[in-house]
Amino acid sequence: MRAVGIILAGGNSYRMKELSNKRAIAAMPIAGSYRSIDFALSSMSNSHVQKVAVLTQYNSRSLNEHLSSSKWWDFGRKQGGLFVFPPMQTPDNSFWYRGTADALHQNLNWLKDCHEPYVIIAPGDGIYKLDFNKVLEYHIAKKADVTVVCRELPAGEDVTRFGLLKMNDDCRIEQFEEKPMAAISSTISCGIYVVRRRQLIELIERCGQEGRFDFVKDVLIRYKDVKRIYGYRITSYWNNIASVESYYRTNMDFLKPEVRDYFFRQHPDVYTKIDDLPPAKYNPGCEVKNSLISSGSIINGYVENSVLFKDVFVGENCVVRNCVILNSVYIGDNVHLENCIVESRNTIRPNKSYIGENGPYIVTESGDRYLL
Amino acid sequence: MIAMLLAGGQGSRLGVLTAKVAKPAVAFGGKYRIIDFPLSNCINSGIDTVGVLTQYQPLRLNTHIGIGIPWDLDRNVGGVTVLPPYEQSGKTEWYTGTANAIYQNLAYMESYNPDYVLILSGDHIYKMDYEVMLEYHKSHHADVSIAVMPVPMQEASRFGIVVTDDKGHITEFQEKPEHPKSNLASMGIYIFNWSVLKESLMTLSEQPNCDFGKHVIPYCFGKGENLVAYEYNGYWKDVGTLGSYWEANMELIDIIPEFNLYEEFWKIYTKNDIIPPQYISGDARISRSLIGDGTEIEGEVMNSVIGCGVRIGKGAVVRDSIVMQGSVIGDGAVLDRTILAENVSVGARAVLGVGENVPNRIKPNVYSFGLAVVGENTVIPAGVRIGKNTAVTGLTVLEDYQDGLLASGETLDKAGVVS
Repeated sequence: MRAVGIILAGGNSYRMKELSNKRAIAAMPIAGSYRSIDFALSSMSNSHVQKVAVLTQYNSRSLNEHLSSSKWWDFGRKQGGLFVFPPMQTPDNSFWYRGTADALHQNLNWLKDCHEPYVIIAPGDGIYKLDFNKVLEYHIAKKADVTVVCRELPAGEDVTRFGLLKMNDDCRIEQFEEKPMAAISSTISCGIYVVRRRQLIELIERCGQEGRFDFVKDVLIRYKDVKRIYGYRITSYWNNIASVESYYRTNMDFLKPEVRDYFFRQHPDVYTKIDDLPPAKYNPGCEVKNSLISSGSIINGYVENSVLFKDVFVGENCVVRNCVILNSVYIGDNVHLENCIVESRNTIRPNKSYIGENGPYIVTESGDRYLL
Repeated sequence: MIAMLLAGGQGSRLGVLTAKVAKPAVAFGGKYRIIDFPLSNCINSGIDTVGVLTQYQPLRLNTHIGIGIPWDLDRNVGGVTVLPPYEQSGKTEWYTGTANAIYQNLAYMESYNPDYVLILSGDHIYKMDYEVMLEYHKSHHADVSIAVMPVPMQEASRFGIVVTDDKGHITEFQEKPEHPKSNLASMGIYIFNWSVLKESLMTLSEQPNCDFGKHVIPYCFGKGENLVAYEYNGYWKDVGTLGSYWEANMELIDIIPEFNLYEEFWKIYTKNDIIPPQYISGDARISRSLIGDGTEIEGEVMNSVIGCGVRIGKGAVVRDSIVMQGSVIGDGAVLDRTILAENVSVGARAVLGVGENVPNRIKPNVYSFGLAVVGENTVIPAGVRIGKNTAVTGLTVLEDYQDGLLASGETLDKAGVVS
């Protein structure tokens, strides 16, 4: 592959509410076994991108733990590898990453030392599979300066959290607005960009000189009339998890057979860090309907339309309905949970009841496990 | 201390399950293979140099072990090394016995020049801290330690029995004795002082089928070395027969199993080929079962151990059965006391494990316990019925079944693996 990968995984989103209190968005657990950055990393690995940098900042420890070894995504190679770059103090810089373009600017040396002619930039919160070779081919065929991966907005989505764009018949982007109040079109940017490395260095150096920090506002939107910025449409599954709503819905999407088939059974695979957990165990009296259950879980109660992550314990006479239960949650006996997202490592005491009324309710009950 | 893990055996009493794989590579407990238990014990005991001796059908075993990543045995120094038999100038032979296999790899052990060598076999299910055994070995100034476990006195005549004095020193051996003097059975786990092991293997190099239990231990005993018995009291299961293999799997699904895989301490590691979670559909009913990753269940599963990446269709019923990785069970099929090896396809409405408990005609000692056993990559057509104490392999078609039935006690061997 003639490109290096950069994954922007440093941001926080107030839309994630309590869920981002202890982890980066890119480290959000997804679909029982994965974390959201696995999708970008696996797509890069499967597209034979050999060298990938992950730029981290907000709550980076959770992400660093997940990325503690690069072997799970097949990046443990002599050529290339997986690099994690938090902000770094140097004689020239004493700032945190002040934006996406600034994050790139602070790592310009690394980018300059690469020899690959192209760069793929992707966020860490996208849930998708993508062959970057095809995007790169398109980028070259269109003689584009920047190619933006985009798709039609699913009906009923909140437009104001996306970048919206409008293309001409040749797919050149003519209008681009970041998180607008009113929709200019129904085409949204997936935040995945392909750009020639020297071009990117030039653009980012310019941003640095001008004190501009945001890649979308200060590069894509600012240069859209002078540079050839093209859109690459995808129609396959794509979602981002930058809000509680979309996070909940994305997990629930995996209860649909076509989504499971696409991610779990069709080539190529999505990889993740392996936790060595035993198979899931179903005890007498349990009842499970239309749910995803992950390894290490032990089920005694009733579970319906839910996604249970790894190492979850469901006690007797529990009712868990329309819930997303994150890793290592212990649910005591007779607990009733409905429309909830239960934060990882929670211990829910027996006889508790939580029901989400308007949208998913986030349960963060940190009862002490060993006092129960 | 380095470990030598004997994993070359066929395990012929597991019948068609070991037709294409060595016994240590047979799947166990939903996502493991039998060899995961001794290998995990090694790394959990702090042993990071392990030689795995392979011989019979090693492909699955080799790919499973690889460079040892799942067990953290990918090391700069030591790590896991697969040791197959090899051609030598002069006399070349297969591994003719357990001790002979170790003898042929003296050079491997020599290269590490260990103080102690741990001899393990790759076909038992247990958790054991070998370091504790080594401490025992050292504190008793032993030359050879043998791990033993108490068995019920009436069963003692099935085992190799050791008789000890009150300090744990071994005073007598009895191989499958009629009148056992003790109930301590040897588990086939030995710690040798390296010099003692080397000397005895060199001396016995001409012994045909040289075996630890039959030759090396008696030789050391006769020479007056200090042999001690290390008593182990935890869970230990020899899964040498289809019956004990089935039973050991079933024991895992007790509410609090004696052999608990869910303890944080002493994890069992394995190679994970399949990552996604399992999906249980709205029509499924599951009770008392272990289910592996990536499995999709639309039918009914009771008292069963289901591996990874299995698909169980609508209306199918799986009862008291073991289903290994990648098998597909068609809609409406019924499995009772059945063992499906890997990547088996069971057609819709096929029924396995029906009828009377008639002994198997060809191998009554192997295919018993009322189990229907299906070898790997077997295809079973839709609608057929298969009896108890049966074995099925290969791509079978409806014409192979008389009136759509394979009666109890019969064997249908299209893959040509049952000799």
